[in-house]
This record gives sequence, structure tokens and C-alpha cells, in this order.
Amino acid sequence: MSAPSQLRISGGTVYDPANGVDGEVRDVCIEGERIVAELPSNVPRLDARGMIVMPGGVDIHAHIAGSSVNQGRRLLPEQHATDPVPAPRLADGATARSGTAGTIPSTFTTGYRYAGLGYTTVMEAAVAPLAARHAHAELDDTPIIDAGCFVLLGNDEYLLRQLAAGELARARQYVAWLLGATRAYAIKVVNPGGIARWKSGGTERDVRGIDDPVGSSSVTPRKILEVLAGVANTLELPHPVHIHCNNLGQPGNVATTLQTMQALAGQRAHFTHLQFHSYGGERGKGWKSAARDVIEHVNAHPEISADVGQVMFGPATTLTADAPVEHLLYASTGRKWVNVDIELETGCGIVPYAYRQQAAVAALQWAVGLELFLLARDPWRVVLSTDHPNGGSFLSYPQLIRLLMDRTYRDEQLKRVNQKLLAGSALLDGLAREYTLSEIAIVTRAGPARLLGLKSKGHLGAGADADVTIYKDHPDRAQMFATPRHVIKGGTIVVEEGQLRRAPPGRRLAVRPEYDAAVTKDLKRFFQDYACVSFENYGAEPVS
Amino acid sequence: MSAAGRTVEHITCLGCGCACDDICVVVQHDRIGEARNACALGAAWFGDGSITQDVRVHGRTASLEQALDEAARILRAAQRPLVYLAVDLSCEAQREAVALADRLGAMLDGVSSGAAAGILAAQRRGRAGATLGEIRQRADVIVFWGTDPAERYPRFTSRYAVEPRGLQTPEGRSSRTVIAVDVGAKRGPRDAAARVAVAPGDEIDALGVMRATVQSRRATEDERFQSAVELARRMSAGRYVALVADGEPGAAPADGDVAEALVTLAQALNAPTRCALVVLRGGGNRSGAEAVLTWQTGFPFAVDFAPGYPSYRPRPGAIGLLAVGELDAALVIGSPASLPEPMATGLAPLVTVAIGPRVSAASFKPAVAVDTGVAGIHEGGTAFRMDDVPLPLRPVLTGPPTAAGTLRSLRERLGA
Ligand code: SF4
Ligand SMILES: [Zn+2]
Repeated sequence: MSAPSQLRISGGTVYDPANGVDGEVRDVCIEGERIVAELPSNVPRLDARGMIVMPGGVDIHAHIAGSSVNQGRRLLPEQHATDPVPAPRLADGATARSGTAGTIPSTFTTGYRYAGLGYTTVMEAAVAPLAARHAHAELDDTPIIDAGCFVLLGNDEYLLRQLAAGELARARQYVAWLLGATRAYAIKVVNPGGIARWKSGGTERDVRGIDDPVGSSSVTPRKILEVLAGVANTLELPHPVHIHCNNLGQPGNVATTLQTMQALAGQRAHFTHLQFHSYGGERGKGWKSAARDVIEHVNAHPEISADVGQVMFGPATTLTADAPVEHLLYASTGRKWVNVDIELETGCGIVPYAYRQQAAVAALQWAVGLELFLLARDPWRVVLSTDHPNGGSFLSYPQLIRLLMDRTYRDEQLKRVNQKLLAGSALLDGLAREYTLSEIAIVTRAGPARLLGLKSKGHLGAGADADVTIYKDHPDRAQMFATPRHVIKGGTIVVEEGQLRRAPPGRRLAVRPEYDAAVTKDLKRFFQDYACVSFENYGAEPVS
Repeated sequence: MSAAGRTVEHITCLGCGCACDDICVVVQHDRIGEARNACALGAAWFGDGSITQDVRVHGRTASLEQALDEAARILRAAQRPLVYLAVDLSCEAQREAVALADRLGAMLDGVSSGAAAGILAAQRRGRAGATLGEIRQRADVIVFWGTDPAERYPRFTSRYAVEPRGLQTPEGRSSRTVIAVDVGAKRGPRDAAARVAVAPGDEIDALGVMRATVQSRRATEDERFQSAVELARRMSAGRYVALVADGEPGAAPADGDVAEALVTLAQALNAPTRCALVVLRGGGNRSGAEAVLTWQTGFPFAVDFAPGYPSYRPRPGAIGLLAVGELDAALVIGSPASLPEPMATGLAPLVTVAIGPRVSAASFKPAVAVDTGVAGIHEGGTAFRMDDVPLPLRPVLTGPPTAAGTLRSLRERLGA
């Protein structure tokens, strides 16, 4: 075996908040795939003088691979036709792949572009168990980044049955089994109970609040959330239950969001794309911001965390398991629309969309996201996302960082947007906060890594994965963060002098909790009675 | 091996897009003795599992090495190569094929072009759909639009759409109303509880009238469409409606306007009730090819890499380019029996490399032919059901080199 390659990143200004390093000039040493404390002085150097050094970016919530994402891709030929991506030229003549971008890039392009942005870890946030094999196949074709899958639970017939029957122990075993069978990293709950209602037909097409019954009177969104939050915590999963609340995108949904948080009081839980769940007002009567109420609750409860799900102006594709919401969006916009009811498990809805500065609701959503960011007291618990591609592409992160770091720029943008629904927004009160580089390092890497329980990600201490991003300091933070000078992934220099040069495969992040095998006996019975795939063919275990 | 043989359970059949994964294959003396649970079509697809294992270069028997060298030479020399995906390939082989096409700057197309009408309609409008198991669980009204699945999708009604009991259909067929729409000679199931006849020339108008009715817009007073209006009302009154149409070409290619009208009707029905459109698709992992192409390139079929990136050319597609003499070499992958007639004849004058099951006997006489196994019989991997549900494939017999492995070797020779 050859000696592991060694590299000293020398003289850079290092932001490593997990290790208390806030803009210190120091070296970062890499041996093989890891960061090490020291190396002899004669090892190869990467001169980072005058540059900013951070851990590789960690995206806690994006939609990059799997059945719903691919349905979305298929729906967007016009975007792909106008945004072709030739294969990058890699070092040593290594083969790279061409692709297309738009709001949902092809898989290889996704990997290259994330790496080009300095991101080295991404979580695919919604994988239907039935289609887990598909998600993993796409991730196998998504180079460079390490990736994990959140598996969709909370509308699945088997779980709801166990809750209805009071079989909580069996529900826990089932979840533990499912995480392993689908090679997932965390539990995702989307609109608990709401999708089940949408699929069952009839007049009730969604749930309205967390105490609405779903099929059985003993099954409610509250119950589903309590159980799944409890399972994640009992199993000591690295990431707590990842929650997309009921009533996404509805005026007045702040009530549901706060009730959900209260229902799980004292438990670890992550609330995703909080922006879409922080609206005041009333159905049919109008919207306003309720960001302050929501973020104050988050600020006061250290056991919970969130990602923002910022809306960025420009094209997006809304894509979610929350199918009833997409039907509403289709009905109100007349755009093209995909719905796929996924047997016994969940749903999928897709509507291509665009957020316009001049549209009142889009402007409100944009403002709510920024309020959440600017009023959040603990950046470790309120991290950056656009719910790619829902609120905007991951490629808009640098623009978002500029909005957070540069008040003058932000205030200029604020003047340009439709003001109609902004009354009561804290942004209008002139929120002066500007994120520091250290805080950006927290919300884009150290924080998400900590919330995900990824101990070797998001920091530059000895033993960490050698995922490092090096930026050229630039007063225009959007430009700086869009074009890292060097990106190192697992010790391999993937971006060199601003060019993608290497594209090694990424790793899969997954958990495999223990479970009592008795649950599979019961599951086999359920499969025999209802399923349309064999139990033995379910899941995502690799085949020979 | 004992004469009693061995049985392999939970095997996925790719005889049609139903991809029934409950097949129990009995293997005796290295042959498939029986494919239990398979329908006649499936049993024929499995056959006895015997397969040719020839490697030929310009008609002569050759080693695999020689064949791959010659294949690489042909493809390297080509000005305007085509990579064509036929059926019976795993997704793993399809992934290799797209990588090759990317490297070669080739036109990449396949049997999916036969289903273009439905694919393009869904790209224009989207789709209101469901996986097949959800039809089983929910559908209380099932409308077969000009199609009877009995012949080409034999177990569709017993596994998914009509017979089985589901969550909201505890009595199976008795919990559902099955309606046949006969579009001229394209008739719905014989045993439907009700029938509606639509003249082929009226098909689009009838679908338009139905959509208007569903949306409570004033429909026509024309007598001709009264049964369509009634059908639309009946569908609107269902709890969960399945609208089933055939996405594969019959003798004539499917009509894009009809495909789109079916999509928009199914979408509209989701206001008064729930509705899913099921577009039936053929076997051999066609849907897998569309999924793989989409994730790797952004487009489901007819991808031209000539510009140095994927560009979408559903019209003219490979058949159109062949017709105007634009292509000079082809790599045909998969079972050649599935090639549409204009493709098989169009290939004859080209220098071709063929890799797939029984390609040594292909009618277009490939310059290089490497027989491989059939995905799902001799090769493992992944395949997609017609509704995009992924399923594992396990080989039940050993066979010739795998398509995925052969393509990988070819790709390495081409430096891809
Ligand atoms: S219905 Fe189709 S997939 Fe099922 S056994 Fe018959 S041919 Fe095979
Ligand atoms: Zn999301």
C-alpha cells in the first residue's frame, strides 16, 4: 500500500467554528482522507495565503435523487434544452460526463455543481421506501458528494395501522427495520396524515390541524409525530425526526407549526423549510408574516432545530411528497402538474414554478425566510437551505449568503419587491444584522453537520474527513461563495484554481439500527394481503 | 444438481411492464422447467432459458477480446454513430450504454420512441398518476380506454386493477365498477360492467366533452357525445377513478393529441374526485431506460450527444435520422427482436455492433455480435415496472457474459 497522500493547506484564514477557530491564520493538514493535527514541514503545500478556509459545505435538505426528482426532471425538457452542460475537463484525461441543468440538473451535473460550490455532503430529503432502490441508483451516478437519504414515513399504511391498534412497540421495530432496509440516514415526516387523506379520496383531501383524525380516531398527526420523534430519539439516530409540518404554504399555518412544536416539547426534532410554515393571516383572507412568532419559539427551545427553506427569486420547481399542496398550486396556477400516489406509503406532487419579485406572495415568502435567518439567535440550530429546488436552486446559495452578510444589498433588494403583504414584517423595521463569516460557516457546514450527527463532517479538527473549501476573499460575498478557489473532498483536490479537476465517487451515509426480527413476520403478512411487490424484493439492498 | 431441480422464488418477470415479481422459477438440468405464477406471455418470455452464446466478427466466430477490439475500432471510426437501446437490459447495462453514447458523441435512442406520444404529452402537461398498487388499494371506478389488457398485459387485472382486494376495495372486483370504452376496433375488456362506444374520429372531441363535463362547463348538446357526458359524470361521482390506456404502439403509432387529452382529463378529475391515469407499457425494462436516460441526461429518450452535451431530438429520433442517411454506424444493445420494423431495416446498410441476447442471429447482420444473457434470467440488476417502481433482478441461470459487463469492457477500450 502506498503511503497516504499528504497535503498542508498553508497560511489561510481558517473558519472552523466547531473547534472555536474564528478567522485565524493557520495551516490545515491532510493525510489520506482525513484531517491530521500535524505533518512534517516538507510535505506538499497548497498556498492559501489571503484566502478563507472552511470545512466543505453540508446541505441538510435538498432534493437531488430518486423517483420524485426524476419525475421532475422528465417534466422539464425545455429547461434542460436551454441549460446544457458539457463534460468538465478533468485532470489526467479522466472521463467526466455531460448533462443538463435547469432547476433539476442531471445526476452527474448535480455532483459537479455541488462540488463546484464547495459543498461535499448533501442529504436527499424525501425518499419513498418503495423507490429507495431508485434513489440509491441515482446517487451512485452523482459523483463527489457524500449523500444520505431521508426515508418518508407518517402516511404509510403499515405505520398508521400499528398506531390505530396501539401497537407502538411494533411501530418502533418497523421503523428501525425500514431505515436499514432502505439504506436511509434519517426519518422524514411530510404532512403527517395529510397525504394518506389525499390518497383515500372522499371530501377530506388533507388534514387541517394536528388533531384531525386520519382513518381511525386514534390516529392523528400529533400521534404520528410523537411516535416518530420518539423512535428517532429512542434509537439514538444521529439525526432526529425531520419534520415537514401540516398545512405547508397556507396562510395562517403558524398555528399548526407552533402546535406541532409544542406537541413535541422537550424532544429533539428538526423542522424543515420553516419559511413555508411561518405565515399568519387566514385562508381566503390574506397572508402576513409570522416569522417572529415561530423563530421566538425556536430560540427558546434548544432541543429543536430548523432549516429555513429560503425562497429566491427566479425559477424553481416545487416538488414534494405533500401532494395535496401541489394540487392546490396546480389549480391556482394552471401550470403543468405531476401527481403520483405511491402505493401504501406516500405521494408525490410537482409543479414547475417561478418566484417573482413583483408577486406579493413570493415577496412575502422571501421576506419571511430572511426574517427567520436574521432573528434566529443560535445559528447552530437554524441553518441554510432553499429546499432545493422548491424555494430555488442550490446554485442560489451564494446569493442568499450575500443577502445575509450585506445589509446594504439586502435593503436595496427589499425596496424592489412587492410590498403589499410586508406590513408587520420585521424586515421593514430595518433588521440590521449582518452574518459574519463564522456564522456563515456555521449555517452552511458546522451547524448542519452537528444537527445531522455527522461527527467527521463540518469541521477541520484532527480525525475529520478531509472535506475543505478554500475561497478567495472578496467583498462581494455572492461572488466569493459561488466560485471557490479550491475544494478538497476526502483528501482529493476536486476543484483546483477554480476548475473542477477530479470527480471521485461519493460515499453513502446510512444507519442500520437493530430491530426485533418478529416484526418482519407481521410485515410479511401485511405484504401478502396488500402489497404489489414481494417482501423479499422490497428495500434497497444491493443485488448481485 | 439433482434431477428434481431447484426453485428460485420472488423472481421478476419482464414479459410485459407489469413486472410481476412473484414468479417461482423451477430449474432442472440448467433449464427453466417452469415459471410458476407467470401468465402465458411470461412463460414464453422465460422460455426454457436457453440462449445462444456466440461472439462473431464479420460473421465469423471470434473471441470476446477480438470482438470488443473490432467494436471499439468501428465506433471510433464512426462519424455519426447511433447507440440504440432495445429491451431486456438491466438499468446497470443502460447506465453503461448512456456513458458510451456520451463518450462517442452519439445519437442515443431506443424502443421508447415507440411510446413517444404519451411521453411527450406528459412532458407538455404533466400527469395525474399512481403506482399500480395504489389502483389496487383505491380504485372504485376503472375505465379502460380503448384497451383490453388481457392480451398484452395479462395479469394486470388480476394483480393490480380489478380483481385484488385492497384497502378501500375489500371485495375486490365487487367493490369496483369496470367500464370499457370501445374506440372503434380498439375494445375494452369483454367482462366490463358497462360499455361506451366512441368512434375513432370522435375520440379527441369525446375526451374534450368529458373534461368540460368534469369541470362543470357547458358541454355539447350533440347526441353523439351523450354517452361520453354520462361517463364523465359517472367518473366524477367515483371516489378514486383509474383511467387505463395503452402507451405502447399498436399497428399505428399512438396519437399525441389523444395522449394529451387523456392526461388533462385525468388531471381535471382531481377537482371533483381523485383520478390516476395508468399508461400501460411493455416489458423488458423499457421504463428503466427512460428513467436512466432522464437522470443521466435530463431527457427520457432520443438524446443526441453530438453537440458535446445531451440535446433532445424526439423528432426525428433515431428512425428519422436513419431515414435521411445521417447515421453511419450503430451500437445496438438488447434483444433485436424488439426493434421496430423501420429500425431493423434502416440498420441493414450501416456497420453495426450488437450486444445483447441472441444478437448473433439479428436480421440486420451486425459486423460485430456479442451474445449476452437476458436481464432477469441470466443477469441480475435492477428493472423498473411500468409505473417506475424499481425491482431487483436475480439471475436464475448462468449464461454468456453480461450486457453490463460487456459494455463496461467496451467503454474501457474507448477510454470512457
Ligand atoms: S403479466 Fe406481464 S410481467 Fe406478469 S407474468 Fe405476465 S408477462 Fe410477466
Ligand atoms: Zn424538501
